[in-house]
Amino acid sequence: MNKFLLVIFLSICTSVTVSSQTAEFIERQGQVTFFSYTSVENIQATNNQVLSLFNPNTDEVAVSILMRAFVFKKSLMHEHFNESYIESDLYPKATFNGKIVGFDLTNDESQTRIIKGDFTLKDSTKPVDVKATITKTNDGYTISGTLDIMIDDYNIKVPPLLSPNISKKIEVTFNFNYAPYEK
Amino acid sequence: MKSNLVILAFLLSFSPLVVAQNLLDQLNDVPQTTNNYTMSTFKATRISIGHSVETRKKNTLEISFMSRYWNVPNSSGNAFVADKMSARFGLDYGISDRFTIGVGTSAPNGVADTYLKYRLLRQTDDNKNPFSISLLQTATYRTRRLNGITLRDNSGDKFAFTTQALIARKFTRDFSLQISPTFIHRTSSRSPLDDHNHFAVGFGGRYKLSNHVSVVSEYYYVANELDSRKTFGAFALGANWEVSKLMLQFKMTNNPFFVEDTFITQTIRNFNTNDGNFFFGFHATYHLQL
Repeated sequence: MNKFLLVIFLSICTSVTVSSQTAEFIERQGQVTFFSYTSVENIQATNNQVLSLFNPNTDEVAVSILMRAFVFKKSLMHEHFNESYIESDLYPKATFNGKIVGFDLTNDESQTRIIKGDFTLKDSTKPVDVKATITKTNDGYTISGTLDIMIDDYNIKVPPLLSPNISKKIEVTFNFNYAPYEK
Repeated sequence: MKSNLVILAFLLSFSPLVVAQNLLDQLNDVPQTTNNYTMSTFKATRISIGHSVETRKKNTLEISFMSRYWNVPNSSGNAFVADKMSARFGLDYGISDRFTIGVGTSAPNGVADTYLKYRLLRQTDDNKNPFSISLLQTATYRTRRLNGITLRDNSGDKFAFTTQALIARKFTRDFSLQISPTFIHRTSSRSPLDDHNHFAVGFGGRYKLSNHVSVVSEYYYVANELDSRKTFGAFALGANWEVSKLMLQFKMTNNPFFVEDTFITQTIRNFNTNDGNFFFGFHATYHLQL
């Protein structure tokens, strides 16, 4: 009887480990860039430390962006971004959690799909549709695409005096290269 | 036998739980780090009248204009807004993120000043470093000969130096405090009664009212004051308003001076709103990224 239990126990263990080996892909140095174009000034910043998980079996994608890791050309913009607009001491991360609609696991080339999900920034969560291109690579996947963020949706307050400097619509581009996730 | 089955059921119920964990929750368990130096203990290189712990980032240049306005007691003049004014024009440049230099010149006293500021220790958000420490060294030179003073004929007698250790902590996101032990050395004094060396302690604070506006205050205590004249501790109360690349610092204070060795030791007015004692000023700083 004990042997029987042991076999069941081991089979559960192996099934769990097998699924965790193949299930997920991780990106630890994903790139996210945002642009704000206005006639007064252009603001651009890039984050090269974005963390993301992708599960091709469930079509799920999760992204975590550390706001302080955005790099600006101008140091004052970096300070204002963190201190006055994003308030990264209170809201250190932006996150995205979604599912690729109609993802084809058997497709070995690239496919353009909509990722439906929730984007959270400054504790405000809004449903977003992200147009993305998913490409199978040798050992993983590449997902890249663009997204427009309306700053009014995410509790980002711009003083009236400075509203000509900061666009209402922020363009976000991203590029993630996933490798198998070994825990 | 029964207990074994219970254990089995328990184990079986466990495995689907692991699988059902949200992908985002799983992501939150992966550590993510970046530098965690506390940002913006103060917003400018000056709290109000004196230096703050802040330095400028590499390759940034700040152009600043400081001014004070005041009335002369019992004046019969018809001056517009104020009877008198003093002003300083200055440049501050960040050689590296931790090392800032500055030069300035002020009128009508004709004092040329320079400073070096090095950011020795930076406070971190995880409180490993609970404080920030910056070291400040200034050198000033009096270009104008003051009336009736025969001392200071040699150029070597016209220098004064201030050394400060600026120790600050950002306690909350809104509130920062600074304590700055200060040593001042003058190569000459106007009166032979006065010591050339002074020890002082500066206290400064900032309270953030909104994302762009904060209230600041400073006070300087001098351990060995001048013997030839009655002096008071320099005091300032002001508001800082940040508009994009422009920093505006409005202040009310009890002296018309801009450099440490003068306002810390030679403030001869107490702080009140009487004519002659009340100095209103503003300091505009324009930030350029080179």
